[in-house]
Amino acid sequence: MAISRISSLKRTQQRMAVLFILPALAVYALFVLYPLAMSLWGSFFLWKGLRMTEFAGLSNFARLFVFPSDARLYGALWHNTAWFFGIMVFQNGIGLLFAWLLFLRDRGAAFFQSVFFFPAVLSPVIVGALWRLLLAPGGVVEWALNGLGLHHGSLTVLGNSHTALGVLIAVDAWNWMGLPVLIYTAGLRQISGQIFEAARLDGAGNARMLFSIALPLLMPALGTLTTLSFINTFNQFDIVYVMQGVQGNPSYATDTLVTYFYRLAFGAEGAVGITDIGLALALGTMLFLILSIGTLLMLRFFDRRTVQL
Amino acid sequence: MSAMAIPGRPIISRQLARLPGWIVLVLWTAAVLLPLYILVVSCFKTTAEIYDNRLGLPASWAFDNFVRAWTRADLGHNFINSLIVTGGAVTLTIVVSAMAAYPLSRYRLGWNAIMLGLFLSGIMLPIRLASVELFTLMRNLGLLDSLTGLILVYAAIRIPFAVFIFANFMRVLPSELDEAARMDGAGEVRILFQIILPMVKPAVSIVAIFTAIAVWNDFFFPLIFIFDDRYKTVPLAISVFVGQFRTDWGLVFASLAISMAPILIMYCLLARQIREGVGAQGGMK
Repeated sequence: MAISRISSLKRTQQRMAVLFILPALAVYALFVLYPLAMSLWGSFFLWKGLRMTEFAGLSNFARLFVFPSDARLYGALWHNTAWFFGIMVFQNGIGLLFAWLLFLRDRGAAFFQSVFFFPAVLSPVIVGALWRLLLAPGGVVEWALNGLGLHHGSLTVLGNSHTALGVLIAVDAWNWMGLPVLIYTAGLRQISGQIFEAARLDGAGNARMLFSIALPLLMPALGTLTTLSFINTFNQFDIVYVMQGVQGNPSYATDTLVTYFYRLAFGAEGAVGITDIGLALALGTMLFLILSIGTLLMLRFFDRRTVQL
Repeated sequence: MSAMAIPGRPIISRQLARLPGWIVLVLWTAAVLLPLYILVVSCFKTTAEIYDNRLGLPASWAFDNFVRAWTRADLGHNFINSLIVTGGAVTLTIVVSAMAAYPLSRYRLGWNAIMLGLFLSGIMLPIRLASVELFTLMRNLGLLDSLTGLILVYAAIRIPFAVFIFANFMRVLPSELDEAARMDGAGEVRILFQIILPMVKPAVSIVAIFTAIAVWNDFFFPLIFIFDDRYKTVPLAISVFVGQFRTDWGLVFASLAISMAPILIMYCLLARQIREGVGAQGGMK
């Protein structure tokens, strides 16, 4: 009796489970898994407009690396890489300093954390548009720099191909600075106070405690941040689009892999603006591989360096 | 650098040693708040006044820019679209994800781990790269230029994270909860929505907050799926305004202020939950 009741419960549960999981699985599979799988598959075919024609092997991939695509591809790859390292230093590095300063103070942490994180809940479109106005020629930043005697005349940092990318990285760091601050402070609070107590009694200064004690124990937090920053910077699109246009102006100096992908896929590449779906999908597949392999390597790297106490 | 290293010193010099740290923190606070302050005061200024009086308060608190942004630039319409899409996507994500997470975290099915893994793999998938095939799919389903289409895509993207959060919270509830209800003859649907879901309210609010922020702010999918002005959402409209009203700074500033208002209000009310939610997510991986 008891056994049959249990097995009937099991059967009911199997049936109910399928019914309960189905809506989420259907939406997720139809709008995420299916298009992603089809995009990877389609990158090995020739395309006529939005229609897949015949199998093409790796020829789309080969075309990525030759004229006229090669310059765009290497440019975008370099910009994304520079963006990643820029964010690691200016966002995740300075963020660690902020988190450490807040950790050492018993008052005000919640206030500063809330202020620092606020830009992160805003749309990158709003952040980009705001900074575009502030940094425009005749804008308030130009006025302030001229007033302080740090600069003369019209400010054209966004129109200058030597400075534009750096400015976008800085705007992105401004946008997301709160993220490392929150993640590091949560990590620091998990470290037992006795460890810091003991180090202090041994005469360790604050800098020493940060680098020799806190940092090794913050490896999981650093791993999360590195992985997230990697994924976000290699998906960078919004800020570039709003501040510099989809061409990554000036003269492709701020072009990224996703803006290049967008132009190939939705027809804004070149003067005539025709799409090249085969090339777009090959670029997408390559980016997918970069992201997957990069993420896996990073997770493993930080897993091995995690210190257990 | 600060007092922790020098416990023996008197309080005044201890506070003095902390000064550089405080200055750093205050400087970044200014770096965050000053642009937002300029944004707010510029909303009330004419374009000429924005040039003449950079940092000061406006001569008068006129709502002219807001009115023009809301009506002439038709931001009001975009605002309602964004509210519908955000509300729809949050509701759909919560309902279907809670339903999926319940059996996956509380039944012994034999295939829980595989199914959960399939959902979790979606947390990091770069869905933008699938946008060509997604576009074709949406066109074939008649979901281009449609708020329903956006709601479905956003729900699909947010389901993995939501299932992950719900499953983590539901797993730790005592099994007596549903067993007792089952003895009393309650159906599985009732157990989920009347017993389990009220017990995981923090999970519901985490999912609601982060889904709402992500959906309200998204720009990429409206950009590729919405062509008709009637269905544009706020971020898409803003990206157009920045070029279209390039010389009308007051109007653009006012549009930015309007579009961040709902997020600002939510942030002021829920800052603590958001801080803790982000910190906890960082620790989980």
